[in-house]
Amino acid sequence: MEYIIKNGIVFDPLNKIDGEQMDICIKDGIIVESVSKDAKVIDASGCVVMAGGIDSHTHISGPKVNTGRMMRPEDSYKEVYLKRGLKPGTGFSVPTTYKTGYQYCEMGYTLAIEAAMPPLKAKHVHDEFVDTPQIDKAALTLFGNNWMVMRYLKEKEYELCAAYVAWVLKITRGFAIKIVNPGGTEAWGWGKNVHGLDDPTPYFNITGREIVRGLCKVNEILGLPHSIHVHPNDLGHPGNWKTTIETMDCVKDIEPKPKYGERETVYYNAHVQFHSYGGTSWKDFESKGVEIAEYVNKSDHVVVDVGQITLDETTTMTADGPMEYDLHVSTGNKWANCDVELETGSGVVPFNYSPKGPVYSVQWAVGLDIFLNTDPSKVILATDHPNGGPFTRFSRIIAWLMSKKYRDYWLNEVVHKWARTRSSVGDNDKEYTMYEIAQITRANQAKVLGLSLERGHLGVGAIADIAIYEINPEEKDPKVIERAFRYAKYTFKKGEIVVKDGEVVKEVFGDTIYVDVKIDESLKKELMKDLREVFKKYYTVQMENYKVPEYLANNWKVIKIDNSQIS
Amino acid sequence: MEVILKLKEDIIIPVELDALLPEKMEGMDVEEIKDIEIPQGRTTVKVGDLFDVEIEESDIPRMTIKNSSFKLKRVGEGMTTGEIVIEGDVGMHLGADMKGGRIVVNGNVDNWAGQGMKGGELIIKGNARDYVGSAYRGGYKGMSGGLIVVEGNAGHEIGEHIHGGMIYIKGNVGYFTGIHAKGGIIKIDGDVLGRLGAEMIKGAIVVKGRVPEVLPSFKYEGIVENPVIKLKKKEEGVRIEGVYHMFTGDYVNKKPKGQLYISVDRNPHLG
Repeated sequence: MEYIIKNGIVFDPLNKIDGEQMDICIKDGIIVESVSKDAKVIDASGCVVMAGGIDSHTHISGPKVNTGRMMRPEDSYKEVYLKRGLKPGTGFSVPTTYKTGYQYCEMGYTLAIEAAMPPLKAKHVHDEFVDTPQIDKAALTLFGNNWMVMRYLKEKEYELCAAYVAWVLKITRGFAIKIVNPGGTEAWGWGKNVHGLDDPTPYFNITGREIVRGLCKVNEILGLPHSIHVHPNDLGHPGNWKTTIETMDCVKDIEPKPKYGERETVYYNAHVQFHSYGGTSWKDFESKGVEIAEYVNKSDHVVVDVGQITLDETTTMTADGPMEYDLHVSTGNKWANCDVELETGSGVVPFNYSPKGPVYSVQWAVGLDIFLNTDPSKVILATDHPNGGPFTRFSRIIAWLMSKKYRDYWLNEVVHKWARTRSSVGDNDKEYTMYEIAQITRANQAKVLGLSLERGHLGVGAIADIAIYEINPEEKDPKVIERAFRYAKYTFKKGEIVVKDGEVVKEVFGDTIYVDVKIDESLKKELMKDLREVFKKYYTVQMENYKVPEYLANNWKVIKIDNSQIS
Repeated sequence: MEVILKLKEDIIIPVELDALLPEKMEGMDVEEIKDIEIPQGRTTVKVGDLFDVEIEESDIPRMTIKNSSFKLKRVGEGMTTGEIVIEGDVGMHLGADMKGGRIVVNGNVDNWAGQGMKGGELIIKGNARDYVGSAYRGGYKGMSGGLIVVEGNAGHEIGEHIHGGMIYIKGNVGYFTGIHAKGGIIKIDGDVLGRLGAEMIKGAIVVKGRVPEVLPSFKYEGIVENPVIKLKKKEEGVRIEGVYHMFTGDYVNKKPKGQLYISVDRNPHLG
């Protein structure tokens, strides 16, 4: 099938195209130079054309998301998705798999990265991916509290650790290294947490600094497309901004060496909004978003995603078990907790970010502080769905960023006064341009994930994942912006029209992307010897049953990396 | 205007009647009301298929349901004004999310009566089942205003997550009355099976009947006579007659302010 998208105003930051009126040609799912006369014409005059959106940090699949769904029938009651020809779905903050896929697609998004996959529970993650339509998916495998990783890093066996990471990524069909509260989730197994980067975890006696630095080195030894993806220590604690900067700083001397893609950074700080808090308690709590932004601006090795608070009632879920316990104690809300054997843990707590709450209002302002002060090529739009708010609010965040007036309306009329006095959002006049919106919603993601060869841009050869929004690039009316980015005029997935006028018109099932790194045979042998012993001694499953089977995807898309020379 | 609905014959598959609020039907004629679509099971039917409809004069928006049965659900859901009178029994979610007006049931009601109620009056002349004035399943916003009176008995978890308003049960109740309460007053004239006010943070529960035992996480405060229940500092308070054992709790929470008043006469074994 051939298409030609005519007269659209194209924003494609990876190819440095800033609002040029041009035609995009699609043939067999790929963007091409030209098409034949038979190509179907899509009139995009007066519309903005961008590559398909990418959410590089979201929680849409797997055991903790499902726990969220199960423990929150009242969330299901809040929103029902019922459209002819589509699978019905429910849930506002923890939607069902089908609803998740449809709604991402309605917004012009075509790739979402599940940000926390415990290796042992990988089958569950992939099984839900099978039922998540419309988008491509990938999952980040959790390594930050893994016994094998901590053991190897403590012994400074970086090659063995790399071999282990490569093996787990292949076996669990993971995409990159995720680190959550390094050392902290393991400490939670002892009823404790770690505080700061240099607080050692019990028994393994390894600090967050050693884990982050070690895994960063391992990441570059392996040459993975994505950098390490880090949720640092002390999430959500007043005064944690120092830990955040320390953690960013501890890997600045490591060189990026991806063997696939065009990544230039070595450190991805997830939901940095939750890590940019000043003060010493909730009473003198304040925004340090500007300080974090300044650090990011002057460093070449860091990219951050914001994890913006949208001030909704939502469900928090993370592999940071102790943090969720703190949240449960402070709110009195119901709480689910899980310990994943040798690997990680997790927790789930419903949470209501009321705009009237002083602390929540400051949290909201912290996110905006980071957006408004960071170089748009280093910041990524995400809500850490559903922790900061559901992904369906992305368009509202875009409206806050593009319209100073709308932002000020929320600041002065909607939220608590602390947001005005304890942040600098009110003083900032920056308004995002359409080009910058394209950067923070697709281009930056594609680049840092190492997928920019074929995704996140509209150059010839790219996969034809395209979003067309009915909006004038100079538009300032927040209502129009919010509506336009919530419901795309067209979404193309692999060269097919899947959304028209905000309605899903075709159900398609995307790929699941994973990384397969080939490592040296003798190194693998050594690793297997250790692994067999660990499985025999500690795991509740046999090594043979640990593997994610071939059938748990609609279509696997493997990124192969040959690294057999390291030993 | 008063709308009189008479169920033609007993139905097996339940119907949901949240579309039939007196305030919404005000000004409609009989044919229009007969044409209103209501869900029955997985299909939709029209009011005229199941009910005989009549209209009479009335100065307030009113609705009367005759021949009512447990199969009529969500009656008066989201109601803000007017009056609904039900002759017979009525099904689940009676007066759920109700904000004002008055519902009178001359019969028994099924579970979840007055779920998430915010205002108005709900008078039940017969018995009620579980979760009177509770939150939606899994939710944490129960009844926050208004009055529920049950003249018969009620089931378990009455006033679960109650925030405000008052529930008055003249008969007996089951387990976990006022569980997770954060405000409001629950008054019970009859006996209680037990586990009163588990995990309550605020609010008050008054029991005139027998209570086999109080949870060990409650603190005994002594005997009080004709106490005045004050839930907020500025409130005038509600005075209740009689001599009561007073307990505070539930101390599984930090700094709880929940109050239990349990009749001394019927419960000499407490205290």
